[in-house]
Amino acid sequence: MATLHMLSHSPFSDSRLSSCLRLLGPSDALLLCGDAVYALQPGSAQRQALELMPSSIGLFALDEDLNARALDGPQRLQVVDYAGFVELSCRFDKVNSWL
Amino acid sequence: MSKSLLIISRQAPWSGPGAREALDIALAGGAFDLPIGMLFLDDGVFQLAPAQQPGALQQKDLSANLQALPLFGVESLYVSARSLQERGLHEQRLSLAVEPLDDAALTTLVARYDQVITL
Repeated sequence: MATLHMLSHSPFSDSRLSSCLRLLGPSDALLLCGDAVYALQPGSAQRQALELMPSSIGLFALDEDLNARALDGPQRLQVVDYAGFVELSCRFDKVNSWL
Repeated sequence: MSKSLLIISRQAPWSGPGAREALDIALAGGAFDLPIGMLFLDDGVFQLAPAQQPGALQQKDLSANLQALPLFGVESLYVSARSLQERGLHEQRLSLAVEPLDDAALTTLVARYDQVITL
């Protein structure tokens, strides 16, 4: 059962991202929104960890949160708007919100 | 058949309402006979530390509620072996009987449930 893991906290002040990466399944995906998009900060260990994920794992981020913080993702990043967010939530068997 | 729910509890017991709220969801679900599992991850494993004295912080004892989980039919209780090890806790000396799982087993656990929430 593929899970969409939704993160919204900065990975620099919290261990949600690293724990999430440890229990990701091969067909799961990651959706970064809010301060979680700081994980894409160039030169950070967090960004490197995301780039090194197996290619079967989808990496998504919310467009407006990226824009607000002037961040770009790596090649594999798929940028979504809110409509895309909803579509993603329906596409996966379940959504795990890391509150 | 009701959908199964895995609650991942990753907050320390005295840092805020997160730990208690995760536990309340589990107990409420258990009371309604829903198939609930609970996983203690990251600082959430501190909830299982023995001999805590919540009175010192003028808080209610969370461990009494934890002991109630099996009584409410929530018997699928798991803990991340890595989170325990990182924090120097030993699985034999926890206040609740939980099954330690390694990282690979955690992935399988999450996949097995219909719904997951992380608090």
